[in-house]
Formats: sequence, C-alpha cells, structure tokens
Amino acid sequence: MNEESLWRVTWRRFRRSKLATFALWYVAFMGVIALLAPLLANRKPLLERTASGWSSPALEDFWIADPDLDKPARAASYVLRAPIPFSPNTIDLPQRLTGPANGHLLGTDDLGRDLLARMIHGARVSLTVGFFATLIALVVGSLFGAIAGYYGGFADWIVSRTIEVVLCFPFLFLVLGIVALFKPSIYTIMIALGLTSWTSEARYMRGELLRIREIEFAQAARASGARDARIIFRHLLPNALAPVLVSASFGVAWAILTESALSFLGLGVQLPTASWGSILSTAHEHIDYAWWLVLFPGLAIFTTVAAFNIVGERFRDALDPRNDA
Amino acid sequence: MTSYVLRRLLFAALTFFGITVATFVLIHSVPGDPVSFFVGRAGAYTLPKEVIDAIRAQYHLDEPLPVQYLYWLRGAVTLDFGESIIDRRDVTTRIAEKLPNTLQLNTVAFLIAAIVGIPIGLWSAARSGRLAERASAVGFFLLYSLPSFWVALLLMQLFAIRFDILPLFGMASDDYADMSTGARVADRLRHMILPALTLTYGQLAIFARFSKSAVTEVIRQDFITAARAKGAGEMAVMWRHAFRNALIPMITLLGITIPYLISGSVIVEQIFQWDGIGLLYMQAILSRDYPTIMGLTVITAVVTLLASLLADILYAVADPRVRVGERAQ
Repeated sequence: MNEESLWRVTWRRFRRSKLATFALWYVAFMGVIALLAPLLANRKPLLERTASGWSSPALEDFWIADPDLDKPARAASYVLRAPIPFSPNTIDLPQRLTGPANGHLLGTDDLGRDLLARMIHGARVSLTVGFFATLIALVVGSLFGAIAGYYGGFADWIVSRTIEVVLCFPFLFLVLGIVALFKPSIYTIMIALGLTSWTSEARYMRGELLRIREIEFAQAARASGARDARIIFRHLLPNALAPVLVSASFGVAWAILTESALSFLGLGVQLPTASWGSILSTAHEHIDYAWWLVLFPGLAIFTTVAAFNIVGERFRDALDPRNDA
Repeated sequence: MTSYVLRRLLFAALTFFGITVATFVLIHSVPGDPVSFFVGRAGAYTLPKEVIDAIRAQYHLDEPLPVQYLYWLRGAVTLDFGESIIDRRDVTTRIAEKLPNTLQLNTVAFLIAAIVGIPIGLWSAARSGRLAERASAVGFFLLYSLPSFWVALLLMQLFAIRFDILPLFGMASDDYADMSTGARVADRLRHMILPALTLTYGQLAIFARFSKSAVTEVIRQDFITAARAKGAGEMAVMWRHAFRNALIPMITLLGITIPYLISGSVIVEQIFQWDGIGLLYMQAILSRDYPTIMGLTVITAVVTLLASLLADILYAVADPRVRVGERAQ
C-alpha cells in the first residue's frame, strides 16, 4: 500500500459520515471568514472612486492587527461597502448595548461596537492561535516522540519521564502562569499552548515509530547506510504522520477553547483586539440584560471547537482499516 | 508486588524532582530582578538598600541558581514556600485555608458526574450501535466542546437572572452569620448548585465515555458469554459481571481527572467568586505573588502525582496481570 492510496482510502471513509463532512465544511467556512475578515466587516469601503482614481481602503487593513486607523472620508463618485459596514473597534456610544436589530445584526457591546464585526475579526484570533499553537505542539511533540521511539533505551526513558512531569501540572495553571508572568499577547499564548500540549503528539509519534522502525523498509534504509536523521525524517516520519495529525486536530479544538478561556479571564489577547473570549468577558459585566453578548460569541466558540473535534474523531475512525465496510 | 510498588515510588520521586525543577526554572526565567519576587515590583525600587540587601541574604539571591534551587527545594519538601508578598502570611497556610472550599465543590461535582455518568456508560455499552446510543454518544462528545465559562454565563442568566431562584455568585448569603446550622448548610448548597453544574458536565462526558469503553472491553470476553449462556438476565450480566470487572480500569480515572478538576476550578471559581485555590491562583498571578504561585503549582502537581501513584498501585492490587506484565517487559 503506498502513501497516496492510504490518504485516498481515508478520505473515502471520512466522507461516509455526513456530520463529519459538514463539520469539515464548517471549519473551512470559518477559515475563510478569518482570512477575509477585514473585507467582510469594515467601515471603510471595499472599493471607491475618488478624484485620484480607484482605490480599496478596506484592503489596506488586511495585514494590520488593529484595522481601525481611519483616513478622512473623501468625496467619492462610486463606493462599494463591505457586507458588514462596521469595523470591530468603531466606538459608537449612543448605540451602546442595543440588541440585535436591522442596523447591527447581532447587537452592540458596551461601547457601541458592532458585535458581528467583532466576532468576524475574533475568528482570526481564534483560528490563528489554534493553528500555530498546534503547529508548535506538532513539531515539538513529533521531535521528542520520534527520538524516543527511534532510539529507545535511555532517550525513550528521558522523554517518557518528561511527559509524566508535564502531565502532572494542571494545564491551565501552567498556561496562565506563562502567559501572565511573561506578557499576555497572542504570541505568548501560542507558545504557552504549544509548549504545554505537545505530550499527546509525542506519545502517538513514539508509539508509531516503535511499530514501524522494525518494518522492512526501515531496516532496508538502515542497511543501505543512511544516517539516523535521514531515516527518521525521510522514511519514518511521513509514515507515522496520520495518527499524529488526528491528535493535532483535537489539539486545534483544545487550543481554541483554551485561548478563549484565557481571553475571558483577561489574560489572553488584550483589548481592544476582538476575541471571542474577551467579548464574553464583557458579557459577564452586563449579564443582567445583554443576552446577545453571551449567546452569539459562545455559540461561535462551541461550534468551531465541536467541528474540529468531530473532524478529528472521524479522521481517527477513517484511518482504522477495521472500519472499512 | 513489593518491587512493583518500590519502582513506582522511585519513579514518583523522580517526577517530583522534575516538577520542582520545572517550576523553579519557569519562574526564574521570567524577566526581572528576583528581589521583586519577594517584595513586589514597586518594592524593588522604593525600599531602602539595606532592606533589599537583607532580602537578598535571607533568600540566598546572591548564590548561583542551582544553590538557590536547593534552598528552595529544602523548604518545598517540608511544605515551606515562604510568605506571600500580599499579606506576608505563610503560603502553605493561605493554601490550606482555601483548599476545603475547592474540595467541597469538586467532591460534589465528581460524585454527580460519577453517579450519572457511569450508568449512562453502561447503558451505552449495552445498546452499542443503536440509534439512541449513537445520538447520545454525539451529544456527550459535544459536551467536551462546550466552553465552561459560557455554560456558567448561560446558567447565571437563566437561573440567577431570568428565574431569579439561585444566587448569582459567592459562597454565602449576606445574613450567613445569623443563620442556624441547618440554614447554613442549605445556603451553602444553594450557592453550590450553579458552580457544581458547570464543573460537572465535562466530567460527566469523561465518565460516560470511559465507563462505556471499559465495559465494552469486558463484554467481549468469554465469561460474559458464559453468564448469558447460563441464563442470567441482561441487567444481572451488565451490573454483576461486566460492571464489576470494568471498575478496575476505571481506577485510572482518579489520576486522569484531578488535573482537569483543578484547571476547571480556576475558571469556575473566578466566575462565581468561589473562595478556593483557583481564585487564589488567579489573584497570585495578577499580583505576581511568586511564592504563592510556586507553592500552588508544586502542591497541585504533587496532588496529581500522588493520585496517579495511588491509582497505579490500586490497579496492580486489583489486577495482578498489570504487575506481571510489567516485569515481563
């Protein structure tokens, strides 16, 4: 069985679950929203024609973390507005804490900022943290797991003891401690989450390598005189990747959940940057009547995390040859 | 058996060493003058030089780091983590004061989760593959994805605000001091309902899933077929034969759930202002109270370590195959 056919077989089994296929589409949908956030919710026009010609003010916000540096409005002969004509940080105090209505589809927060616009930009934070934290965990975990599984003996012993130590700490203590004591920012969160969640990836990688290092192709590589690093990276890692990726899929869900918890506790992404967790923290202050501030961001976290978990679960089942009907 | 326990104890001692090294290194890699760990960041600038020097000498801050670590470790093994920079009180005493509140809440949550979750797990194992079971499995799976702080906010909004039947936060009503003992217990329980529910639902999913897979593993075995063949009813087979044997692997849940419970306590105690160690940790983090942070981190990690050690030993007592298998490796 070559590598390509494994992925194709897995994909065929994966699609048999309607729920998981839907969850995968939902993940992709969220990814598109996160990617295009400045074009979906922005008070600056997508396209406008002024005396100086055509321009796209919204596009200028694409790479800026806080896209609310406004230029004075110019006389324009043509204007194409964003679907949500509000920026996430546009403060409008007369409109504060209004419920869902025609102007603000999901209502506004305590500074009159549009909730939907903040949630769309919050998707960027959540998915970026989820993706990069898991990437760090994947790299660190795979490396440690591969060393433990390939060399065995003392290396394996050291890695296993290290994993045991990491697992003893209540993860939120560790993450909160690292984030708060160093400096709460999106980068600290990614690193803190990555460095505390690599253990399951390491375990899967270790188990896989223990299994496949004795298979003929690995022994053939060794017999041909290949160096250890080459055997591990060229021959073993690609074959051990599938179960590790399953664990990474759960990892993204976990990272998104934890980031939102940190932001909720005020130790995550710092205001005014919008994040789903920090919106809920505002909601906590106005819990007596602003139900929309509680409901919608919570739903966004829940559905996104659930989608990643469902995809991971189905992916794992699909990799199992016993499930081939 | 003795050699198995001894080896486990040796590993636990090594893990304890690792826990203390990790905590120490992590805290000491935070940028800043270590004097501020003990007098606060403002104190490091404002206090007279003699005081600063006295603190340096008292905490051996002029020694190389490994020596500082050994001094700190000597305190840690006797549960002496120094005094809090907030109120100059002993860190261990402060933790001991708050621990009962956290234990109360977590015990209630743990019991509810076990009492509700285990029968559901058993039912799912017996009805495995049927529509109702598959639907409930998806439902429990979704519980994992629910952010606890969101659930807490929804519960607050529903029960404390819309229906106004339960307190919004806190551990006691304002007139708690004037109550009779019975009324006090009732009052505490009323305050406990929402936080306990928030802590429970995630646990419930773990219990249901874990007991389902443990029972499923057991009912594949021959003695279950034998029990069915002799004509035992389905209820008897599940409870008397399958469940009893499935209890053994469930011992490991003890070690698995404790770090989750402690992590969950941080969020729940913060939202409901429940005066336990989770709230203490948040306060310590926000005021950079390093002695308390280090003390709480080491103590909770050691509690987890002891729980998994206990689980390992109980497992070996209950199932001889474990210790034999270990030796065979």
